[in-house]
Amino acid sequence: MDLCDYAAYQLVRMIKCKQVSACEVLESTLKRIAAVDGLPGQLDGDRDAEPNKVHAFITLTAERARRQAQQIDRAIQAGEEVGPLAGVPFTVKDIFCVEGTLSTAGSKILSNFVAPYTATPVARAEQAGGIMLGKVNLDEFTFGSSNESSAYQPSPRNPWNTSRVPGGSSGGSAAAVAAGEGCLSIGTDTAGSIRQPAAFCGVVGVKPTYGRVSRYGLIAFGSSLDCPGPLARNVSDAALLLQVMSGADPHDSTAANLPVPDYVADLEKPIKGLRVGLSPDYFRLTYVAAESGELEQQPIPEDYKQAIYRVAGRLAEMGADIIEDVPMPHTKYGIPAYFVISRVEAASNLHRYDGVKYGYRTQQPVHDLHEMYRKTRGEGFGLQPKLRILMGMYVSAAQYSEQYYMRALRVRSLIRRDFETIFNPEGRYRLHALLTPTTPTTAFPIAQVYGDSVLMQFADQLTVAANHAGIPAISFPCGFDPEGLPYGAQLIGSDFSEALLLRLARNYEIATETDQWRKRIPPILRST
Amino acid sequence: MSPEYEAVIGLETHIQLNTQTKIFCPCKADSWNDPPNTNICPVCTGMPGVLPVLNKAAVEKAMLLAAAMNAEIQPISYFDRKNYFYPDLPKGYQISQYNMPIARGGYLVFPMPDGSERKVTIQKLHLEEDAGKTKHDFGRRLIDFNRCGVPLVEMVTGPDLHSADEAAQYIIRLRQLLRWIGISEADMEKGHLRCDANVSIRPKGAEVLNPKTEIKNLNSIVAIREAIQTEIQRQIREVEAGNPIEAWTLEWDEDRSILRKMRSKETEADYRYFREPDLLSLQIDEAWKAAVLSTLPELPLQRRARFVKEYGLPIYDADILTSERSLSEYYEATLQAYQGDPKRVSNWIINDVLRIINELGVSAAELKITPPYLAQIIRMVDESVINISTGKALLDKVQNCGKEPAAIVSEEGLAKMNDADMLETLIQQLLVENPVQVESYRKGKSGLLGWFVGQVMKQTQGKADAQLTRSILEKYLNQK
Repeated sequence: MDLCDYAAYQLVRMIKCKQVSACEVLESTLKRIAAVDGLPGQLDGDRDAEPNKVHAFITLTAERARRQAQQIDRAIQAGEEVGPLAGVPFTVKDIFCVEGTLSTAGSKILSNFVAPYTATPVARAEQAGGIMLGKVNLDEFTFGSSNESSAYQPSPRNPWNTSRVPGGSSGGSAAAVAAGEGCLSIGTDTAGSIRQPAAFCGVVGVKPTYGRVSRYGLIAFGSSLDCPGPLARNVSDAALLLQVMSGADPHDSTAANLPVPDYVADLEKPIKGLRVGLSPDYFRLTYVAAESGELEQQPIPEDYKQAIYRVAGRLAEMGADIIEDVPMPHTKYGIPAYFVISRVEAASNLHRYDGVKYGYRTQQPVHDLHEMYRKTRGEGFGLQPKLRILMGMYVSAAQYSEQYYMRALRVRSLIRRDFETIFNPEGRYRLHALLTPTTPTTAFPIAQVYGDSVLMQFADQLTVAANHAGIPAISFPCGFDPEGLPYGAQLIGSDFSEALLLRLARNYEIATETDQWRKRIPPILRST
Repeated sequence: MSPEYEAVIGLETHIQLNTQTKIFCPCKADSWNDPPNTNICPVCTGMPGVLPVLNKAAVEKAMLLAAAMNAEIQPISYFDRKNYFYPDLPKGYQISQYNMPIARGGYLVFPMPDGSERKVTIQKLHLEEDAGKTKHDFGRRLIDFNRCGVPLVEMVTGPDLHSADEAAQYIIRLRQLLRWIGISEADMEKGHLRCDANVSIRPKGAEVLNPKTEIKNLNSIVAIREAIQTEIQRQIREVEAGNPIEAWTLEWDEDRSILRKMRSKETEADYRYFREPDLLSLQIDEAWKAAVLSTLPELPLQRRARFVKEYGLPIYDADILTSERSLSEYYEATLQAYQGDPKRVSNWIINDVLRIINELGVSAAELKITPPYLAQIIRMVDESVINISTGKALLDKVQNCGKEPAAIVSEEGLAKMNDADMLETLIQQLLVENPVQVESYRKGKSGLLGWFVGQVMKQTQGKADAQLTRSILEKYLNQK
């Protein structure tokens, strides 16, 4: 076990008492990156290059990180107060602006964009003493669930099996954390983009309540759904990062003006009497059959279901009450509604990339402004942005808006109502959290789903409802499938119940501390 | 206009609010005379990842306007995105308000120069951000983002105006109102108040609304009057020639006084409005509303009517005195200090104080001749302490040095000389020195009395009491 494999909370302790230096931790991490990451993603890069590497990064900012680490060490030597993330290396999904760094959103259209300011969650992590290692890969503009849509190739691979996707869109974040390339990563979740890759890569990911963490500096996808959040190897580290990221922000009026509770203090408080629900609607997938257009259902794999029931069993052993057969009738409409809402917002959010002010501009000769727009956007955007612009423009057009967009908004309200019903403290269920699988399957093979945008989207079916409802959810590892791929369990809670979700997940960690599966490490690390 | 037609005109105005900072970021709002692209930041230039934060001051100014226009301020309103591509619109959408704006309804009743009144209804009143400016420069487009994010209120009237004059009067009264309530500098040349006009015609007395044209860029009162007049005439000619009126967008060329066709407007653009997810709903509770509206002054047309009713002023006087808020306040403060004839104070202000205001280019509130000082001057003239010409000269002196008028009068000995003994001595001396004129007078050339009075005035620098001088002169000249 190298320094870079330690938990963030352990490293902070060790660095503060000068047992190790921030520079040593950083060098260990950089060494790991050099060993496992391989080629960074690059424009027009080879998809299949170095198939046994992780390829989490787009931009590694080692020198910037070294300067930060030296500062931390100097401060500690001088006896100065340092922050709660002092010396902890972390990565940032390349959808956040960080001043002076390339901020690409995984797209050619921002391939030359150096951000003039730093996103609030990143700035807060740095102010807390965190050492930013660089920018990690993602689906183009976060539009995907496998990272294969990034304009920067090779795209990340799953450290547990490099023939598998890491998930997405925060795939670089999850893969980096799993492979020891930084203890923590800041990702974003619009339909499951933190939780799904966290599940696929066997790490912890938190999608906070909408507004808990400022979106300032997050390059927008679906502005009413986007949530920045932490990815970490354990629940305590996730709590640590969430703590520093959260809180009101004068730059984001949708950030909640509510005090941030101490997410770390109560992690290990007992969970006796907490009510955790299981819903049959989260153990089956509903999708539109390609031929008939009818809604069809399919159960999630039995082994995955059993894994989640085992989690319920362990939580019950720790004192939680498990409530079965909780109806969540509108879950099945989550993806269709998301398809519409997110695309309307995405199409609008992508308008600004016009080649006028920054970013890529066509190199071809143009005769007029509109030709410049068309060529710039035609060349700069990949397939996913184009599809989403087309769909978004269609469903928000004056003649279709009522039929699609307004209807989707009503569905969104119904989904929110499902949750309000089960979390209502005076209601029939009075749940503190709903326990579900995070994903319908474990990590799928590279190239298996990519290209089928509809099927890809259903990877988010079990996560997207929390985004519609604006409520928090956490994904945490709960074992491995027969092929050695991690299962992810999800806990969904009511508004601002992050502390409670983290506490439940931490209690599960405690309950399973000595389980055999906990001892596994990603195969890619065995060679290091 | 030929008598059988009636024009139907609606005006669309964009009012730049005079806030310190822009509507969604802390950049300076007013960039007049600033070099291009100097009042900008990541937010107003639409950098990736930025978010708008609503400026409360812009909301409060819009609330004042809504109240002044008799519109209903909504307890909850929303911002929406209006999506379109233009190089000077950096986000590719404008943050505006669509179907749930800050205020609903409203109207303005305003007088025409002939004393009649018009009522214009307000169809739309909402907050939005301005876009940047594009300048064409020898085949290049130069973009200045300074204006991006400057707060605007868009206000659209119903089709209630029926002549170019009415349209011009409405804008004159709106401009007065905006300055009066202090929410906009309303300088049309600087684009603080921009106006587009929708114009159609119909047979007089008809109720139909015919296809209209839109005239853009009406940047002065003169332009509004001339452009609309020109367009009405054009439409009449077309109709009389049997041609249909097409829904064109026209542009007024102020230098050449002609209308130019910008584009045919056959289909409405689809802006794909949807709620701006980056801003919360705008909630205005009763307490906030009450606090803001408590600062709303009596409005100009109300004050004008009150001046007529309460002080018995002619409309003409009341109109001038309420042309500007600080002048009207100056008038009332002076009247308060003076405690006398309101018309007399009005005369002093309109005949003399306004001259100084105009010469110096200051507002009434900035004058060194404060209302109590002016009242003091008028009173000294009333009480014959000084004569009228001294009183008027005193205005300039007070404005120059800022001293109290009475102090200047005593320091400079400006008080009327009404000491009869002194005047007698002076006059006796005068008669001795001018025996020829005395002789002529006595021989019947009585017109010479004026000459003698003039000599006395000359010697006393105008301070001699004219009446007293005259009677003493007559006394001595008529002796013997």
